Parts: sequence; C-alpha cells; structure tokens
Amino acid sequence: MTTKEIAGYMRMEENERPMLILKDIHKFYGKNEVIKGVSLEVRKGELVTFVGPSGCGKTTLLRLIGGFTDVSSGDIILDGQRINDLPPNLRDTRICFQNYALFPHMTVAENIGYGLKINKWPRDRIEARVRDLLKMVELDAFGDRMIDKLSGGQQQRVAFARALSLEPKVLLLDEPLSNLDANLRLVMREEIRNLQAKLQITTVFVTHDQFEAMAISDRLVVMRDGLIEQVGSPIEIYERPANEFIAGFVGYVNFMEGRVASIGEKTREAVIDTEYGQIEIALEQDDIVHGDEVLLVIRPESVNISLDRCGKGQNVLSGALKSYMYAGSLAKCTVKIGDRTMIIDQYNPRDAQQFKHAEKVEVEIPRSVHLLKKKR
Amino acid sequence: MATAEWSVKLQARSGSRVKDFLNANLINILAAFLFLLLAFFLLYPILAVLLKSVRDPSGFTLNYYRVFFKADYYYQSLYNTLLLGAINTVVCVVIGFCMAYMTTRGPWLLRKPLKIISLIPLIAPPYLFALSLIIMFGRNGLVTRALDLPWQLYGFTGVVISQSLAFIPLAYMMIEGTLMSLNPNLEESAYDMGATEATILRTITIPLLAPGLLKAALLIFVMTIAEFGNAAILGGRTPFLAPDTYTVITGESDFNMGSVLSVVLIAPCIIIFVVHNYLLEGKKFTTIGGKPVASEPRKITPLVLVPFVIITTVAAGAILACFGVVFAASFYKILGVTKDLVWSNYLDFTSNQAIYNSIRVSFVAAAIGAILGVLIAYVIVRGKFFGRAVIEIISLSGFALPGTVLGIGYLLAFSTPPLKLTGGIMILALNCVFRFIAVGVEAGISKLHQIHIEIEEASADLGASFLTTFYKIVLPIMFPAFIAGFLYTFMTAIVSLSAVVFLVSPGFDLAAVKIFDAAVYGEIGIASATTMKLVLIVMLCMLVLDFITKKTRLGSSMKKSAAV
Repeated sequence: MTTKEIAGYMRMEENERPMLILKDIHKFYGKNEVIKGVSLEVRKGELVTFVGPSGCGKTTLLRLIGGFTDVSSGDIILDGQRINDLPPNLRDTRICFQNYALFPHMTVAENIGYGLKINKWPRDRIEARVRDLLKMVELDAFGDRMIDKLSGGQQQRVAFARALSLEPKVLLLDEPLSNLDANLRLVMREEIRNLQAKLQITTVFVTHDQFEAMAISDRLVVMRDGLIEQVGSPIEIYERPANEFIAGFVGYVNFMEGRVASIGEKTREAVIDTEYGQIEIALEQDDIVHGDEVLLVIRPESVNISLDRCGKGQNVLSGALKSYMYAGSLAKCTVKIGDRTMIIDQYNPRDAQQFKHAEKVEVEIPRSVHLLKKKR
Repeated sequence: MATAEWSVKLQARSGSRVKDFLNANLINILAAFLFLLLAFFLLYPILAVLLKSVRDPSGFTLNYYRVFFKADYYYQSLYNTLLLGAINTVVCVVIGFCMAYMTTRGPWLLRKPLKIISLIPLIAPPYLFALSLIIMFGRNGLVTRALDLPWQLYGFTGVVISQSLAFIPLAYMMIEGTLMSLNPNLEESAYDMGATEATILRTITIPLLAPGLLKAALLIFVMTIAEFGNAAILGGRTPFLAPDTYTVITGESDFNMGSVLSVVLIAPCIIIFVVHNYLLEGKKFTTIGGKPVASEPRKITPLVLVPFVIITTVAAGAILACFGVVFAASFYKILGVTKDLVWSNYLDFTSNQAIYNSIRVSFVAAAIGAILGVLIAYVIVRGKFFGRAVIEIISLSGFALPGTVLGIGYLLAFSTPPLKLTGGIMILALNCVFRFIAVGVEAGISKLHQIHIEIEEASADLGASFLTTFYKIVLPIMFPAFIAGFLYTFMTAIVSLSAVVFLVSPGFDLAAVKIFDAAVYGEIGIASATTMKLVLIVMLCMLVLDFITKKTRLGSSMKKSAAV
C-alpha cells in the first residue's frame, strides 16, 4: 500500500475512517500457506469477530495484527500507520490471550499496572489508573490478591483490564471466553460488549463459537481455510449467507434444490420449481435470474408445521412425521418429504399431544426464504 | 479407595478366606517385599558406612571425624569439593539456560543443531571430557606441545572445565523442560505491553523460572560434588573428597576413614534433598492452561542475542571439540606423539573383555532394575498403604547418593559370609540396580499416571482378580515403561564408574574402570577407543529408545482418537 493511498484514507471523516486495515495479507509457514490473501477494514469503535472452524487461520490473523508473527506479504495499517515491521512492544495493539496469560508471580494490581510500569508512568499515576481499571471491572477489593486466588471469571476481567490499561487503538481478544463455564460465558460476553461499547474501543474478537460471535459483534468475518468467506452483520450472515458453508456454519439449515421458473418484473415475486411442487417467494436478491438453478436456504425455525388437513395452501408441502422430540419451549420435528428429511423447530408447541401421534403433517415454506445460486 | 472397593467386591465373590485375603492384600504384600529389598540393598549398605565411620575395634568412637576435621589435607579437600560444586553449578545453569533459551525461543535455524550438540554429552561417559582435556592440555597434550604451554590442566581448573562440560546436558534438559512448560503467552503478553527482550527476561521469564532453575542447580551441585571420574583423572595433586575416598580405601585399606569421607559427602546431599522436597514443594506457579503452543521465534535484540549466542557457541564448540579429539585419539597409539593411524586400540583384548563384562553386568542390572522399577512404581502410584512416600523417597534417593558411598557400602555390607557377594558379577549388577532404581521407577510412575485407574477398576469389576488384572491389563500397558526403564538403566550402568571402581575384582574389569586406569596410566589410545565403544553402545540404546517412545506415543494417540 502506498503512502498516498494511506493518506487518502486519512482524509475520510473521523467516524468513517478505518482504524485498522488489512490489505491482501498472506502468511506462509514454510511452504504451508495459512492465510491466503485477506483484506479487511475495521472502523473505529467497531467490534469485529473472526469466526470459523479450527484451523481456518483466525488466530494466526490475530497474531499477525498483534505482531507476534510476521506477515509474508501484504500490509497492516493501524490508524494510518503501516505497522508491518513494528514488533509487538511498539504496536498500539493489546492482546488478551485465551489462557489470559496473567503473570502468576504478581498481584492483580501489579498485573494490571505492568504495562504502565514498563512505559515508565510515574507511580502515583499508575496507582490511580490501576484503581480506575479495577473499579471498571468490578474488582476494587482484589488488587492485592495473587492470580491463583481468583476465579476464572475474575482472571478474565484482570486480563481485560490489563489489556485496556494503556488505552490501545485496537484490542485483540483471542477466544477470551472459552475457559469459562457456560453461564459465566454469557455474563462475561455481555460485560465485554458493554464495556467495549462504552469505551468505544476498536476490537477484534476471535472465536470458534458462531453463536457467541453473532451475539457480540457489530460485524462477523467468517473464515475458512485461510480465506474470508463473508463479511457482514450477524443478521446478514444468518439470513443471507453467501454460500452453503456459511449457511450451515451459523446454524442448522435445510437445503432444497430448485429452479427459478419465473420472476415478477415489479413485484419481484419468484416462483421456484422443486421436486415437491412450486414454491413462491418474495425475492430480495437481484443476482437471481429466470432459469437459475438455486438452493433454498430453509431455517428450521422459519417453517410452519401443522397437522395434515388434506388441503393444499400456498407453499405447503406434505410429509411424514418421522420423529417428534418435545423439549418444553420447542419441539424438534423430523419430517420426511419425498426422499428428503427436513428438521423443523416448532416453538411454543401447545398441541404436542396431537403431534406425538400424528403421522402426516404439512409444512409451510416461508416466502422470505433465501436463495443460493448453484455453481455450475 | 479403589483397592478398598476391590476387596469388598472380591470378598463377596469367592469362597475361600485365605484366597480373599491374598487377593485383597496382594499389593500390600508386594509393597512389603519391595520395601525389604530396598532396605537390604540400599539402606543397609548406607547404614554400614555410617556405622563404620563411628566404630573402631574397641567400640563407638568419633576419633575418625576428629582426624578429618583436624587435618589440613581433608579440610582442603572438602573446601575444593564444595567450591568445585558451586562453580560448576553456576556455570552449568548459566550455560544450560542460554542454550535452552536459544532452543526454545531463538531462531528456528539454530534450534535443532544446538539441541543436538547440547545433548551429545548425554551419550558420553562423564570422564570423556577429562580424557579429552588430557589429550589436549596434558603433559604431552596436543595444545600443550603445539604452543609450548608452561602450564598443564591438571588440578582445579581442569576438573572444573571437564565437570562443567559433562553436566551441561543435565542442566540444559531440566531448564529446557521448565522453559517449555512456561506458557509462551506470558512472555508475549509482556512483549505486547511494551516490554523489551531484556525486560521480559528480567521481569517475567527468570522470576517464573526461578523454582526450576533452583531445582536444576541443587541437582547439579549434588551430582558434581559426588562425581568421581573427572576429579580422579584430572585432579592431580589437588584433593577432592570422592577420589580421596578411593585412595583411602584402595591405597590404605582404611575403611573407617573412607566411611567418614563418605558421610561427609552424603551430608550436603541429604540437606539438599530435604530442601528440594520440602522447601520447594508447592513453589510452583500455576496458570490457567490453554493449548500448549510452541513459542514462535521473536526478534531477539542484539543486547540479549549476542551474549547468548557467544556463550552457547563456545560451549557447543568445546563439547564438539572434546568429542572429536577423543574420536581422533582412538586411532593413534598416543595422539600427537605417534604418527601412525592404527586399529589396534579397538582390537585390544583387555579393552574388549572389559566391554563384554560391562555389557553382561549392565544387562543383568537393567533386567532386574526394570522389573523392580515397574513394580515399585505400581506400588507407589496405586497402593494405598501407609509408608508409600517412604518407598518412593528411598527408591529415588539412590540416584542422588554419591556413587562412592554405595561402592564402599557394598564392600562393607556384602564382603563377609553369609552375605558374601564380592568378587562376582552379581555384586556389580545389584549395585547398579539399586543405585539407578530411580530411573526405572520414574519411567514407571510417569507411564502409570497416564493410565486411568478406571481401566483397572473396570477389569476388577468384570470379575478379574488382582493378579489377573495386573497380568492382563497393567503389564501390557506398562511394557513401554519397562523397556524405557531397561534401556535407561543399561545406559546409566554401563558408563558408571564411581561405585563399581570399588567393587571390581582383579581379572574382571569393567569398561569404565578400564578407561579410568588407561587414562591414569597414559594409555590414551586404548582409553579413547574404549570410550568410543561405550559411546556407540549408548547411542544405539538411545536410538532404540527414541524409536520405541515414538511408536508408543503414536499408539496412545491412536487410542485417543479411537475413543473420541
């Protein structure tokens, strides 16, 4: 990236200007390419999450931003400055490791104040800052404790406070919640999100948990195999996934093959021919044209399931109920339509008793179904 | 808990009371038997030394101790020994740390070769370095003659250098282990917070490593002051305790004085053992575990890198040079004096006879040691009886005890009927077994900790008796530990010198003793060739061991994935 290009970025409005830019990043370990050309812009104050299956390169990418590994090619621009060649101790990024990496031979306060001391802050200022940070993470009374006398959640907060102590331009969080138990994880992710939003700190979050990613992020970066598959808000990723992998990664999905039979010019009403009959949908995408082979992305909770009344409405298919698993707030239904099995979540299952003994059911495919163009 | 449950189950099942009792208490009976063995072959000889030091024909006396503490000579000897220990410890820990730091944090390019070089001394008998120093700096030494040096390396300096080189790998291995177990994220965090390499070392790495460094230091101190070969070969007129013991016993047949010297040598070992076990206990830092990640190389600042590289290269170069010199010397009658390349050193009859004897003794020792090791490990890990810790401490103490002490102890304990063992292969083998029993026990314990007790409980639950479970379940799983114990004991026994030097009988030489004698009498070629043969044997053992550990690790990981 040239200085001119960088300067171009810097002329943007404050709130438009990206805090962090990754430009065509490649990373090789020997001959093994683990990052295969990644470009991304992260706005100031945004929380962006790298998510993907293990081995997709998300942690490597985070370590590249932190400076713990050198990029093989490409540029990392932090707040208008190219930081490729800067070692971690000179980069204005702070990382929070999965295992917290708290210094076990220091107290909570010493841990939080470590960076301040290294950067030669005067003692009284360190004390004041540490006190503020302890207060912020609600550990006021714990300053003198040793690390191993803290619970997992408390350690997590200390690590967070330590990373924030020097007010970094970008905060890097590497699976920070994965060592906590399920309940605490929900609490902590809300806390992190609230603090992040309050402090308006640009944050890159790495997780393999797609639900955690959707709950916490402004934007998701779905990665696979060293490449970015899709970038978007949680809603975009879930409702309009770019491909089958993403559709399946962010939740269960039923696919149904079909061909676009017609598209209404103005109404954008589309009719899809499937093996089981015609499905009408309200098309929102504009890259789909007449005659396209498509996959319907049908989420389990979007389908209406009802007892067979032998009447055919719009988008209604009939099938055989193979299993009905009642679990209180929802029932999981396995329905066989033709030779395909569809999983349907029925929320608030009030008439479960009847379903339990039903054999034939009707399922109604929603008109809002997302279409994936099949690759030829 | 577990054994108690078994016994209830088994009592409910079979009819005969005797059988029930046996089944329920077999592990305890086994423990008692092993304890007796350890007491007889490890504690009793030490006790014999202690008694001998305070007894003369008329009864109890402290006279010998009085002599020891009054004589200037012994005072000097004690002083030299402790000073040698202190200097060596510092040198080995510093060099070991630098090497370990480079192989775990340094550039990829340096890691492997450095690691190999630093572990080379492991395949060498410790006195190889004394031998090579004689070849280079002795009276007829290569360097001495080439540069016409007025001084020789005999004496304190020579012993310090050869001892340091010999114990670098031990220091390296221990420190590398602690460095590897240090979560790299800790240092990265400090780096991330703005710390430079030197600051990270000062504020994070070294404080966190301190318990590990201290542990390594203590062990090296104990082993150096007890080490016999280097001091005996290179010491010259400078007295050290371990060789003095040998001179007193073989030269003057003064067993009382020899025992006193031994007790004085044991004292620091016991003090350090206590410090190690009780003061350092729990002095370990715990952190939340993540996946263990190999540290990626950092850009180490020249400020740290340059001194580290210099120290490691000098040490590595010295190690390589010593090896090369002994290798070369094995092809000359006397390197630097005679000019003809000869094979005769390798064909020397007495040398080969000694090697053959060494193999026989070590094989017997390894077989017994490995079996006992597995059994003792089993009893320590699975037993629930009172005094388990005692068995563990006794069996692990053999290694920390000076070899000379156990040598004299065996002479005192087993030279009179009805327990006359001296003069045969058995006393040598048994001595090696119990001196190095810790090796087999450690291998067994570490393997047993990998096996869940549930596997044995499942077997018992299915109705198997204790013996069946042990035979069908425990033994097969323990087999790799047995092999490891066998090979380790074999390697350690075959190069060991300090104890067996007291126990060999005329006409039954061991390789280590042969090297020692040849070095002392200036038969450099034969000493070198015999050393090279030992190196070759140890190397073969290492290769087999490496192959087996790789194979069994593969096996266990396959099991794991199958379970998932």
